[in-house]
Amino acid sequence: MLNLYLFQILNGLGLGMIYFLIAVGLTIIFGLLNFVNFAHGAFFLLGAYICYTAVSLTGNFWLALLIAPLVVAALAWVIERLLIQRIYHLPHMFQILVTLGIALIIQEASVMIWGPVGKSVAVPQLLRGVLVVGDFVYPHYRLFLIGFSGLVGLGLWLLLERTRFGALVRAGSESTETVSLLGTNIFRLFSMTFALGVALAGVAGVLFAPLRGAQPFVGPEILGVAFVVVVIGGMGSFSGALVGGLLVGVVQSLMTTLWPQGASLMIYGAMAVVILVRPYGLFGRA
Amino acid sequence: MSEKNPLPFAKTQSRAMLLWVLAVLIGLPLILPSATLATEILIFAMAALACNLLLGYTGLLSFGQGIFFGAGAYCAALLMLHLQLGLFAALLGAAVAGGFLALLVGALAIRRTGIYFVMLTLAFSQMAYFVAYTLSDWTGGDNGLLSVPRPEIRVGETVLLSLGDARAFYAFVAVLFLLIFIGARRVIASPFGSTLMAIRENETRASAIGYDTRHFKILVFVLSGAVTGIAGALYAMLLHFVPLSNIDLAMSENILIMTIVGGTGSLFGSLLGAGSIVLLGDFLSDLWPRWLMLLGVILILVVIFMRGGLWGGLASLFEKVRGSRKAAVVAKEEGL
Repeated sequence: MLNLYLFQILNGLGLGMIYFLIAVGLTIIFGLLNFVNFAHGAFFLLGAYICYTAVSLTGNFWLALLIAPLVVAALAWVIERLLIQRIYHLPHMFQILVTLGIALIIQEASVMIWGPVGKSVAVPQLLRGVLVVGDFVYPHYRLFLIGFSGLVGLGLWLLLERTRFGALVRAGSESTETVSLLGTNIFRLFSMTFALGVALAGVAGVLFAPLRGAQPFVGPEILGVAFVVVVIGGMGSFSGALVGGLLVGVVQSLMTTLWPQGASLMIYGAMAVVILVRPYGLFGRA
Repeated sequence: MSEKNPLPFAKTQSRAMLLWVLAVLIGLPLILPSATLATEILIFAMAALACNLLLGYTGLLSFGQGIFFGAGAYCAALLMLHLQLGLFAALLGAAVAGGFLALLVGALAIRRTGIYFVMLTLAFSQMAYFVAYTLSDWTGGDNGLLSVPRPEIRVGETVLLSLGDARAFYAFVAVLFLLIFIGARRVIASPFGSTLMAIRENETRASAIGYDTRHFKILVFVLSGAVTGIAGALYAMLLHFVPLSNIDLAMSENILIMTIVGGTGSLFGSLLGAGSIVLLGDFLSDLWPRWLMLLGVILILVVIFMRGGLWGGLASLFEKVRGSRKAAVVAKEEGL
């Protein structure tokens, strides 16, 4: 029984790290560009599908893990340049609506390209085994998931805290005008940040693919979960996204054992409770 | 939250607007190939109008309208199926269900403003979907709720009008729509409506003057939820069926897109928006199953080129025509 809980908690941590990657991308974009990317779930979906295509063409998951986020980021870059950059001067309701339009286009295009039925992606050969400790058995891929997203998270933290690019992003989040006055090409910074945030959703999509495959209509569900994470953790905060993501992942995973049908429901319940008790999130300031 | 096109004639010609609505209500079933399609337009126009009260007049962008629509549909259907309630009781039940859920969602989501508010409404919309999915004993889950009746209008035991005929049901929905339209215009013209617009323009200032803005926002949310609930109930009666998709996020998005495409500057815009999107969907969904993609494109185009929506576009066209006619008159008088 204890093993079952341990199993579910580990599962929850893996799921939570995926949620963290999605939410932190959303948060970085919001921090600098000051709007919420409603196409985030759609880019996640695209990451999973490109992973499927790359794996079925080359048979190599690792290549897919490299290519898919890059393709997604490149697409995001182009979209930002062509479309989103034209509407920064408008109230942010309009950015939401444009990204909602992008989400619809990506979702429908995915159905056109890959069909309405989900595609499954095999766990890479290297990670098909299981870890056995006493009578506790745990699949390698799930452990890899936790470790790898941890590394991506660490890399991101170093990028944001220890590099010039990171310093510009953080400074820009405080005051876009000042950074721009100091001679930085703010629009290039915007494009790069948007592509980076979206690439993180792409990475999450790839990591998720061997667990549940690529599903054409998973976008809104992922977007909803990401919103729950940032509402709980507070928007614009790296640690908030991490704690919020892990919390949501573990709650959802534990509930799968207790009440399978209600697992997805519970995370929204948790959000409602947080909003009631602490309207500004667990780490938010008023 | 949103920029408003100045539309001075919208105020002065309020009676003319009502005539326009009447003309559309009478014209729709004559022009369209089926009364069912015309009914569908009015039902979604009702939902878009309720959404417009929030977005256009209070500045609240809600991704939760599908919750109230679906709740109204389920509630009315269950009341009719299990308690054999009549038409008006079922509609009342739907309005109460929509309004009550709007109270819950509103009270929670309004604790946060701006972008968090938008995200919360979307999250609650997902939550409502999972509730409906989980309570499959009541809602039928993925299969939906089947054989929903369409009761007749009766007083006591005498049947005044059977709504089995598509045109009779259209007439009933049209009358309801007209009443709701007039009601909504009264609300907007009232002091309550002015306060909503004050909140839209500058919430800090409105609360500094002494208005309890949260109170007002929750109230308009309840109103919007109740109207959307009625629309959902009518839709269930139209289809004789409540699919799970009535309460999903796509429904919320559809209602929102109709509102925006129609234009948030006027309630008449909601009728235009619902009409054009429903017709487009009806026309394209047979030809091209992925027509939602086009909806995405339209949404982007409207934001970039026509932020006033169809209504805003028509209004500026109208102004231009009037302007050039005036110029022509002036030119003639001056002997040019």
